[in-house]
This record gives sequence, C-alpha cells and structure tokens, in this order.
Amino acid sequence: MAALSDVSLALKSGDRLGIVGNNGSGKTTLLRVIAGLIPPDRGSVRSEGRINNLINLNLGVQSQATGHQNITLKGLACGASRKQIEEKRDEIAAFSELEGFLDLPVETYSAGMRMRLSFAIATAFDPDILALDEWLGTGDQTFRKKTTKRMRSFVDSASILVLASHSPELIRQNCNKALWLEKGRIRMLSDPDAVLNAYADEDDPLR
Amino acid sequence: MGSASDRLPRKDRSDIQRMIADIVDGAGKLEIWGTFAWDEIQNRYRRSVFGLAWIGLSFILFVAAISIFFGAFAELDSGAFVSYVAIGFAAYQFLIANVVDGCHVFARAAGWVKSSNLPYSVYVYKGVSRALFPFFIHLFIALLILPFFGWRPNGNALFAIPALLLFTLTAVPLQFLLGLLAARWRDVGHLVQAISRIFFFTSPVLWVYAETTGIRRDLADFNPMTHFIAILRDPLLGVSPSAYHWGLSLSWLVCISIVAVLVGGAMRRRLPFWV
Repeated sequence: MAALSDVSLALKSGDRLGIVGNNGSGKTTLLRVIAGLIPPDRGSVRSEGRINNLINLNLGVQSQATGHQNITLKGLACGASRKQIEEKRDEIAAFSELEGFLDLPVETYSAGMRMRLSFAIATAFDPDILALDEWLGTGDQTFRKKTTKRMRSFVDSASILVLASHSPELIRQNCNKALWLEKGRIRMLSDPDAVLNAYADEDDPLR
Repeated sequence: MGSASDRLPRKDRSDIQRMIADIVDGAGKLEIWGTFAWDEIQNRYRRSVFGLAWIGLSFILFVAAISIFFGAFAELDSGAFVSYVAIGFAAYQFLIANVVDGCHVFARAAGWVKSSNLPYSVYVYKGVSRALFPFFIHLFIALLILPFFGWRPNGNALFAIPALLLFTLTAVPLQFLLGLLAARWRDVGHLVQAISRIFFFTSPVLWVYAETTGIRRDLADFNPMTHFIAILRDPLLGVSPSAYHWGLSLSWLVCISIVAVLVGGAMRRRLPFWV
C-alpha cells in the first residue's frame, strides 16, 4: 500500500504551498515526508535550511520534566542555540502565561496549560521551512486572539510554508501555490484560485 | 547545512550509508543528548530525600550483602573478594543496563521519533550517557572504599581506561540494534528481560572466574559479559591484561557493530511506524 506516489515538486524561498484533498489523500503523509520525519521508499527529498513542523504539537513533551526543561529540549531539537533559547525563555513564559509554573513538572499542568506551553515553544523558534497541518488555534477566547496574532507572524517569518488544510479561505489567505492530492497522487498543482475552484467543483454534489 | 536536513535521504546514499551518517550526525549533537540525559537522571531521583545519592547507596548495599554472603563460597580472601565483587558488579550493571534499556531506547522516545527530524542515534547517545552516569559513580565509590579492604592498585590499573572506552563504544551499536529490534518485535523486550536474569548468574560477579572448571567455565566463556567484565576488573585488581579477554571483547564489539549497521540499514527507515 502506497500513501503517496509520483509526487514531484520543487519549492523555493518565498513559496507558500497549500495542500488540499479529501481525508486519506496523503496530505499529512506528504507533510511528514517534507519535514524529514519519514523517508520516502523511492525518490528523494532535498532541503536546505532549518525545517520545523507543527503536525502534532503534543508529541515530544517530556511530562516528567519541568516547563523550563521542556523549553530547553524543544529549543535544542529545533536547532536553536543555548543563547537563542535563553533569549526566548522569558517571552515564552510571558506568552504562555505560565510564569511561576515553569519550575513544576509538566505532568502537574492542566490540559490547557500544556497546550499553551506547547504552542508557545513550537512558535518561538523561527524555522526556514515550516510544515503546518491545519492552522493552530488554542485556548480560551482571550488566548485565542493572542495565538492568531502569533501564528500570523510565525508563519510570515518562514521563507517556505507548506500548509495542509481543509479550509479554502486559509489557503487563499496564506498561499501562492496550491496542490490537490487525490489518493496519493498529484491531481493538480497550480495557483490557489484555480486549484480551489476545481476542487470545489468536483466536490459539489449539484454539479 | 541546517540540522533539520540531516535525516533526509539523498539519492546518492545507500541505506547503509544513511545508517552510518545517522550515527555520525547524532554524535555531533552532544548538546541535545547531553541535556536530555541529564534531565532524565535528575527527574528519576527528583523528590527523594537522598536523591542522586541513591545510586551510590544501592551499590554499597549490594556489594556489602554479596560480600558477606557469597564471600564464604570463594577461595579468595574476604578483602580481595569485596574488590572483585564491587568492580565486577559495577561493570555488570552498566552492561546489563545497556541491554535492557537498549530495548526501550526508541520506544521511550516515540514522541520525538515521530515529531522531530533529529538523527535517531541522538536517543541512543542519550541512553548510553544515562547509563554511564551511575557507572562512573559506582566505580568512583568502589575506588574510594576498596583501599579499606586491602586493595592496592598497581600500574596495570591504567588498562582500565581503554576498557572503559571499549564499554562505551560497544554500548552505542548495542542499544541501536536492540532498540530497532524491540521496536519492530515487542517480544524482544520480554526475551531480553528473561535472559538478563540468566546473564547475572552466568557472569563472574558472584563467583570467581578463575575458580571455575568444566561446563561452568564453558558457559562463562560463552557469555560475552565475562570478557568485558574481565578487561575492566583484571587491571584494577593488579592483574596484567589478558589477550584472550581483550580479543573476545573486541570481536564482540566488531560483530555487534556490523550487525547493528546491517540491521539499521534495513530497518531504520520504518522506525517511526513502529514506535
């Protein structure tokens, strides 16, 4: 069983690719391949620069470790230096509203606190290439406003964005290219309007 | 080149080359696995009154109990037997920790394996350094208390240094290999758990290698731990290093490394689907 086949594409600095397709069409798999999490069975992926992915935020949280330790570990894993991590530490604490809790193990946090920490860390270290599975929004109403703003600047700072989403508006807003995956193959690769219209037409039961 | 691309395959690389690149790239990320390992060590002993001292306390308790009980069965005099047990047990503990923990090295890092593009060997180096930490504490305590039991090291003791190097070098491919196998086949973890008890009794910790004969000697020689323990313990006890034990230990290192690279080449790319 192949999740993806004959998928060839090249992205250069400034490219923002939106991926659309039905559930099971291979969107997340393609993101994971691009992010270097799984190697392709055939073919190759070449990339230059720091890649980060926001595919599953909760993976890799060390619940025994404190909030501060998690900031350090995640930061190092993102390719940040000690100095960069220390520069970001206060900002992460302030954004996640967890000052005073960061010396406690993450296992003592509520689900909401964990999510705020994961989100704050994941969006603190700017990568060159960002693989994003749906737009992230989290927390209560006031926190969500903050996350939307932070997400915006985080996404804008990456030189290449790959965003898989079911939301046409999101792709129109953020992307200058779009890819339509169908059963693991490229159905269409073009500008966002063309792809999204074709995809919408196909899905329309009244057509 | 950025760290993120390290694990990305290149057309001109074979699976074996990628496995070797994984091991080499991971070693360079000392800051990451060092921090990981240190955090794990701290977290393990957090909220206990004696904290890290437990590493030393449990070692002293064991050596004391074994020396009192089993000392009577050995022909060595009681002071020499304490030294024999203390160093042998420290070596055995390190070796078996790598075997047992090696089976979980990737399973325990599942979240990271699935979500990060770090070389997989980062988790192996983390595991090995986490095992080295109590090992060095045990050795340090042994060297501290053994003079009271008549231990007088001589120049041969310097040969313990290359032995420690060999221990560490063997631990890396061993953990990588067992980690992959146990991630693919969960039975491997259970099997190793069962075998580890046998290892303890067939390794020269409770009994003296030089006093064994016949089938007991054959079994001891068949057990790779025997040779590793010997190359560390013999020089510390003043015996000149034996070519026999060194030769076998080095052969084991070569065998484990070759198997690890071959198995890693074949299995490594599937790891995120198994953990």
